[in-house]
Amino acid sequence: MSKAKHIFVVIVLSLLGITMVINLNKIPGNTDQINFIYSHITNNAVLETGSLNFVTAILYDYRAYDSLGESTIIFGAVSGIVLLLSRKTLPVSSHGLSFIVKRTFGMLTPFIFLFSLYIISHGHLSPGGGFQGGVILGAISIIFSIVYGSEFDFKRYSPTTKTLLETGGALLFIGLGLAGIIFGGYFLENLRFLNTEIGSLLSAGSIPLINTVIGFKIGAGLAIIFYSMIQKTFKEEDKL
Amino acid sequence: MIILKYLLVIFLVTTAYLAISFKEELVSIIFLSIFSIILTTLYLIHNAPDVALAEAVIGAGLNTAIFMTVISQVREGKKSMFREDD
Repeated sequence: MSKAKHIFVVIVLSLLGITMVINLNKIPGNTDQINFIYSHITNNAVLETGSLNFVTAILYDYRAYDSLGESTIIFGAVSGIVLLLSRKTLPVSSHGLSFIVKRTFGMLTPFIFLFSLYIISHGHLSPGGGFQGGVILGAISIIFSIVYGSEFDFKRYSPTTKTLLETGGALLFIGLGLAGIIFGGYFLENLRFLNTEIGSLLSAGSIPLINTVIGFKIGAGLAIIFYSMIQKTFKEEDKL
Repeated sequence: MIILKYLLVIFLVTTAYLAISFKEELVSIIFLSIFSIILTTLYLIHNAPDVALAEAVIGAGLNTAIFMTVISQVREGKKSMFREDD
């Protein structure tokens, strides 16, 4: 990069920064409406949703429609990547890493799976939720394909299973939303049938259900992305 | 705690600069991973454990794996291209 170009880039970036600072200062601060929403959520969220974690309460109850949009974005990304990258080659790849690594991860992987299930199922009680736990579920598939070779991943957790989990999760999420229309009145309303004591595992209405559905959907989607990215190496290694 | 916060911010900016200043891609990827680990600590200090968990899982774990895969794919593709030219 020449020096004049460098200086031009620096000037443009600093102008962008100045405009961002000016615009962020113009955002209204603590107006009445923001105060009203804040006080409403902090006072009533536990009673209205039954979820102790307010972030999960906002993400999967008050703003569940936005979460539907996010998972649609992931669905679109998965579809695009599979369309662009997947090739019908044999699922044979390298034989994984050494014996020591294989044994170590053989002992570790069940605990990673348990941790992801814990994060998904306790999304309404402790930090975490469907999205974070789902990404850890997807990481298990990545561990399988890197450490054990992707033939192992193909046999244990085949692409058909992943696709079924992904589309099934998306359909169940929309189904929960439609059930809100049928039972309550509006799309993705909290169905209040898990109504034990607040703070126990089976509370907070449909939030744990949406968490589980989103978790499996996101995990399977990210596993599909990674699998279709490494798929191409098989052909190269078969040639060699 | 305030000193720790400022130190972490300085480290954050340094790792971000180092990540774009190296020519070798693998070094940049490792610096991006360190960047997200520092960002995770900052989120935890600012009382946002949900975002911290997401950042740790996605930034430090998934991004590194996917970038590594892409780098290896690109290098493998370049090698096979040169082979076909020869």
